[in-house]
Amino acid sequence: MKSKNLSENILRSVKSRGFKYINLSSIIEANHIVQRSGENFRKFIFSFTDQNGAELCLRPDLTIASCLRYLENNLKGKEKIFYSGQAYRKSQNKKDSIIRNQIGFEIIGSKTEKNDDKEIITTSLKSLQNIKYSSGTLTIGNVEIFNLLISKLDIPKRWKLRLLRHFWREFYFNDLLKRLETNSDVDPTIVEIDKIRYFKMLKEDLTKVIAGRSIDEILKRFNNKIKDPRRARKGKNVSKLIKEFLKIKCPINKASIELNKFFKKNKINLVIDQKYLPTLNNKILKLNVVFSASFGRQLEYYTGMVFKIDIKSKSKNINIINGGRYDKLISDLGSKKQVAAVGAALNLNY
Amino acid sequence: MKKNIINVGIPSKGRLRKDILKIFKKNHLNLISERGERDLLGSIKQLKDVKILYLHAREIVERLGDGSLDLGFSGYDLLKESEINIQNKINVSKRYDFGKARLVVAIPDPWIDVQTIADLEEVAFEFKDKKKKRLRVATKYPNLTREFLFSKGVTQFKLVGSLGATEAYPFTGSSEIITDITSTGETLKANNLRILKDGEILESVACMMSSKSSVKNPEVKKIIKLLSKN
Repeated sequence: MKSKNLSENILRSVKSRGFKYINLSSIIEANHIVQRSGENFRKFIFSFTDQNGAELCLRPDLTIASCLRYLENNLKGKEKIFYSGQAYRKSQNKKDSIIRNQIGFEIIGSKTEKNDDKEIITTSLKSLQNIKYSSGTLTIGNVEIFNLLISKLDIPKRWKLRLLRHFWREFYFNDLLKRLETNSDVDPTIVEIDKIRYFKMLKEDLTKVIAGRSIDEILKRFNNKIKDPRRARKGKNVSKLIKEFLKIKCPINKASIELNKFFKKNKINLVIDQKYLPTLNNKILKLNVVFSASFGRQLEYYTGMVFKIDIKSKSKNINIINGGRYDKLISDLGSKKQVAAVGAALNLNY
Repeated sequence: MKKNIINVGIPSKGRLRKDILKIFKKNHLNLISERGERDLLGSIKQLKDVKILYLHAREIVERLGDGSLDLGFSGYDLLKESEINIQNKINVSKRYDFGKARLVVAIPDPWIDVQTIADLEEVAFEFKDKKKKRLRVATKYPNLTREFLFSKGVTQFKLVGSLGATEAYPFTGSSEIITDITSTGETLKANNLRILKDGEILESVACMMSSKSSVKNPEVKKIIKLLSKN
């Protein structure tokens, strides 16, 4: 943990930008985490059972704790909040600390998304002024641009959804691209056998449920799948195109030019304007500002603008601030309505 | 301090026990149990300093991990299912050619639209998005199942612990799909389940395992050598 003075100075900087301090619960229901991040996230959390049998865990992430607070207190409208504290997470890397000291700030429930993105970056930069460093990089990405690209590709819908769902899991995503390049994802011999079964099942009671799925549901999906096969050649082209897109990295003021050049070259009907980018300055403070099309994959919940700040201090490279937009997190945690949210966390463990 | 008695764990029941006992017999080692076949303790006539403990195959792995067993016989599947700190304390000394089985993902056979794990991944997301619940996977192997499904892109699921008769779970409303150990696949088939084309999680065999804390003990080495012949 860095000195108390440093964290107090950072907190003061955030407060001066009009953010309100809040306290967050240290313990949350494990179900919230597993429900949102999937069963695999369980291995990262410190969980235990209370006297009533409920499974609880130490907060693995302050953002999730903050969104749960918004949801559980039935809050409505815009909130500009900040908090500080520890997040507790297991790591497979032995060098990582299980206790992460963080300062976070967020804008939740606002309707002026693009302005809020800028404000979170400005607040991050203001906080950074309390830290000594010699140089650094502010990397900006936008998951929304990737989503737009995928929506324009000539591949079956199920493949589009697959690529969107797994963008944040780099290793598995690359595996998906490899599969996209292979011959077919629908085995024609099996389809022929199952077609006989399909016609038999059509005569059954379509509302009958088999292990949670109605026959109607099963047959509709089967039908969609066989009617929408993927051609191998197209798959190869699409995979190549996605890989090329993800390589785009340039100074931020060139981002829209590079992106639009790429779309034009590949005959993709898309134009990216400056609203997708929170700044156009290539140099802010001691930071070089770059755009990276592949950035934004470290967390599943990012939905739009994403950024990170890496600094060099005493010849050490430090990832100091991470942030982005997560408009679906609160609804994933249980809200009936989608609530816009953007925020950042400053790492005090360096 | 030198350990005088060597503790050896043998599965207390089932096919695995029978096959392991054959290994001792083939190597001319006579197992003695004072109170007959149901005795949970025994010894080897030819090796005075060896104590035999008849335990559940899962417990053999646990006891090797905590060092209370020096040597044990169990399934490779059970070793790989155990927690990583346990696995790190165990050596596989010999893999036998019996006890062969596969841990697989099985789905209800009428789900004709699901042939591969990629299909399952889509169905899992449909459960989350349309039904607002997660696909439930019943299993006796939560660790292996979780790792496998996640590595194959299935992230939206919930594990349901099972202690037996897992094949029935999808048809009793306790889960939608299962993972289970199978050697021929016949039991799964008889229960209206189908193994996914790319749904093999692990191939298992019976193994002789030793606790890393005992591996330097010459007496343990001697028994490993003796039982590795066949």
